[in-house]
Amino acid sequence: MGHFLYDLFYRTDVLLDAWRTAAHQSWAMRGWPVVILDVLFQLGWAAAAAVFLAVNALFIIWFERKLAARIQIRRGPNRVGPWGILQTLADTGKMLIKEDIIPDAADRGVFKAAPLMVLASTFLLFVVLPFGRGLVPADLNVGLLYFLAIGGLSVIGILAGGWASNNKYSLMGGMRSAAQIVSYEVPAVLTVLSIALLAGSLKLGDIVRAQPAFGYILLQPVGFLLFLTASNAEINRGPFDLPESDSELVSGFVTEYSAMRFAIFFLAEYTNLFLAGAFAATLFLGGWRGPLLPPVAWFLIKSYFVVFLLIWIRWTFPRLRVDHLMAFSWKVLLPLALANLFITAVLVKVL
Amino acid sequence: MRAEEALAALRKRFPGVETRPVDPAPGVTVPPQSLREHLVFLRDELAFDFLVFVTALDRPSEGALELVYRLFSHETRVSVVVRVRCPRDGARVPTVSDIFRTAEWHERETAELFGIVFTDHPDPRRLLLPDDLDGYPLRKDFTHPNLIRLPEAR
Amino acid sequence: MRNVTFGNRDKMPPTARGTVPAATVVQPLPSASATSDEFLLNIGPQHPATHGVLRVVVTMDGEVVKDIVPHIGYVHRGLEKLFENRTYEQIIPFTDRTDYLSAIANNFAYVRGVEMLLGLEVPRKVEYMRVLMAELNRIASHLLWLAAYGLDMGAFTPFLYAFRDREEIVAMIEEASGGRLTTNYFRVGGFVHDLPKDFFARLRKFLARFGKALNELDTLLVENAIFVARTRGVGVIGKERAVSYGMTGPCLRASNAAFDVRRDMPYSIYPSLEFEIPVGRNGDTWDRSWVRIEEMRQSLAILRQAMEGFPEGEHRARAPRNIEPPAGEVYSAVEGPRGEIGFYIVSDGTRKPYRVKMRKPSFSNFSALPEILRGLKIADLVAVMGSLDLVVPEIDR
Repeated sequence: MGHFLYDLFYRTDVLLDAWRTAAHQSWAMRGWPVVILDVLFQLGWAAAAAVFLAVNALFIIWFERKLAARIQIRRGPNRVGPWGILQTLADTGKMLIKEDIIPDAADRGVFKAAPLMVLASTFLLFVVLPFGRGLVPADLNVGLLYFLAIGGLSVIGILAGGWASNNKYSLMGGMRSAAQIVSYEVPAVLTVLSIALLAGSLKLGDIVRAQPAFGYILLQPVGFLLFLTASNAEINRGPFDLPESDSELVSGFVTEYSAMRFAIFFLAEYTNLFLAGAFAATLFLGGWRGPLLPPVAWFLIKSYFVVFLLIWIRWTFPRLRVDHLMAFSWKVLLPLALANLFITAVLVKVL
Repeated sequence: MRAEEALAALRKRFPGVETRPVDPAPGVTVPPQSLREHLVFLRDELAFDFLVFVTALDRPSEGALELVYRLFSHETRVSVVVRVRCPRDGARVPTVSDIFRTAEWHERETAELFGIVFTDHPDPRRLLLPDDLDGYPLRKDFTHPNLIRLPEAR
Repeated sequence: MRNVTFGNRDKMPPTARGTVPAATVVQPLPSASATSDEFLLNIGPQHPATHGVLRVVVTMDGEVVKDIVPHIGYVHRGLEKLFENRTYEQIIPFTDRTDYLSAIANNFAYVRGVEMLLGLEVPRKVEYMRVLMAELNRIASHLLWLAAYGLDMGAFTPFLYAFRDREEIVAMIEEASGGRLTTNYFRVGGFVHDLPKDFFARLRKFLARFGKALNELDTLLVENAIFVARTRGVGVIGKERAVSYGMTGPCLRASNAAFDVRRDMPYSIYPSLEFEIPVGRNGDTWDRSWVRIEEMRQSLAILRQAMEGFPEGEHRARAPRNIEPPAGEVYSAVEGPRGEIGFYIVSDGTRKPYRVKMRKPSFSNFSALPEILRGLKIADLVAVMGSLDLVVPEIDR
């Protein structure tokens, strides 16, 4: 039993491989089509990812509210459940029973689809995320490329949401958000390329294994900061949340969304927050590697550490104005990312 | 310029300068036609660059409205009050909003509350009052069905 | 997509009843031409960023503000007319409510005016108490401005830091007067009650702590690079224009005009106190913010001096039971947190004033908004309006 538990936590890849091979053989012997087995495995992964998404949302929203409160010298939720843990559950319940309002002149189909598009792009990113040794639905050979590509898919959902609301201000907010995400993709890509150069592979599993004990952060300090900033802007958070701010004139693309549809945007945003932290941890902090604790624990600790940084940044700084936002991306981050890439390339070749 | 010089120049220009109780600021009464020229003189020659407020007093016993312009000089720290008398009916006074930009809003308010017309005003819309209110609220004879007089204080 | 023009909903019916003078002629709203990028944006009367019930109609060309027309009067309560039917003492609580954030300054200006009409001299202790209260009020008002401004800019944390300190001040004022915001503490001749016994102990503790807290707030907001980028060089108004628009207070001092009622039309014990008048250089939004922070520091110095020199005495002079000033008029001005608060009181010898005109700083400061904002981007509107520190009930009275 102890052996099994140890394998489950510390050598999950071996365990999973063994199960898979055994199941394959078993099915093949019985003449059942093996492809269905593979599909079932992937569905299992999807289900696990969905469960994680939900549980993570519960936790991360509570974490943000508590942390924000402590930064602001107050307590945060402390009534619903011990330390307010069940607050998110209560809020979700509230949102579920709210009236679902669709504006009269809105484009109904697109209006309903937009939140799902955003959630879909978020959900798809779980495919390549290495939670632990072997705990990844599909460790694609082009995992890094996949991450960058799918990460930009949310733009479609945001634009759709802004357009379908039939609201001048939603459209402007949606377009601003789209412009922001696309602009900040570029330094993110360049930074991540430096990592790929160092690791010599686009496969996320390889990148994690290729890192030294502390992760690439010591080799790429500037890269880490660049990636953190770019991710922050990509998830529309922190100093870069102009498109959805409520005290600015243009209230953003979520204005016309209420109840469950808003909750889906909300869920997507917090999951994106976790994913930003998770990918930063994978690429820069050594992923699931670490002594003593099981790989999953290390992965979660490192991810939530980056999430902690992102929350800290959000509650400290005021908002950037839209032209500052763009100028910052193109005139500051991009040259830095290029320089970082260049220096990395030279050093990799030389050393 | 010092305060004494300003006051001396004021007395030279306006022979009838008086000080009312309790306000120590000297006051001059000018006819509406020459209001603008006097204000330009005060602003440019005597450095009265700050128009503190424009308001009016309703003097029904004298059948007149008394416009009050209070000016202050940042340089000499002297205040002066310029008064203009106009009839209660059909009062027309030239605007001074191009001389002092603050007068634009002060004049709009005074116009709607007292019923004075400021000619050549750039934006003579109502400022504070709702559009459907008839009459001039700050006049002493203003009545309105909703106006309830409180019992006299004892 | 439908082109929604808010201008259509705003057609005011032309009033043509009786002898209505030209002042109520309906002026057509600025029209947006169909060929350009111009459109009308309506902000308010309910909007988180307007700090009160006011309405602003902006004609925009793309992102640039071409013209801006403010509409006020949503909170007009006819106070000046009301005052003509109230006794001098009954008016005091009303003055609180014109600008609830500087209630004490309003009380001060009004009560001082009545005392000037009566020729009443107040004890020195009353003067010191008045200065203490006024400066505490100034700090509290500036802290609230900072908090709300931070919120407008997207910085949520300074709000709570500023309110933590403001809570201390407001608690002190509440113990002294019974009210946190609308205090109704002043009376003709002095105060309702004396200061509570532990007032100076609390004040001492507050003064010891607040300097550091102010530095914290400085770092969090005013010295923050993002804040500076959003406010420096934005919303500039030159000195002559500012004076012409009748601006006073921090908005004027930011434009390199050193005018402070405490120094230029001195009152109370201010001539004997040592403090500096912070003056900005460029007249931009950042300068207006900086001036307010520095004013808070100077208020700390004034509070210390007032506390050290605090005399013994009565907290209220002997004033007649029925206030009936002889006929005359007076203009009494104080330096409120937003600028020069003035009361022009005309007395006709009865127990009720003949006319009370309130000169409020936000009225003139706000009238300069079109001039400041023309040509700026719409994203700057929130920053500029917040920096003017408007309180709408004061504009409308």
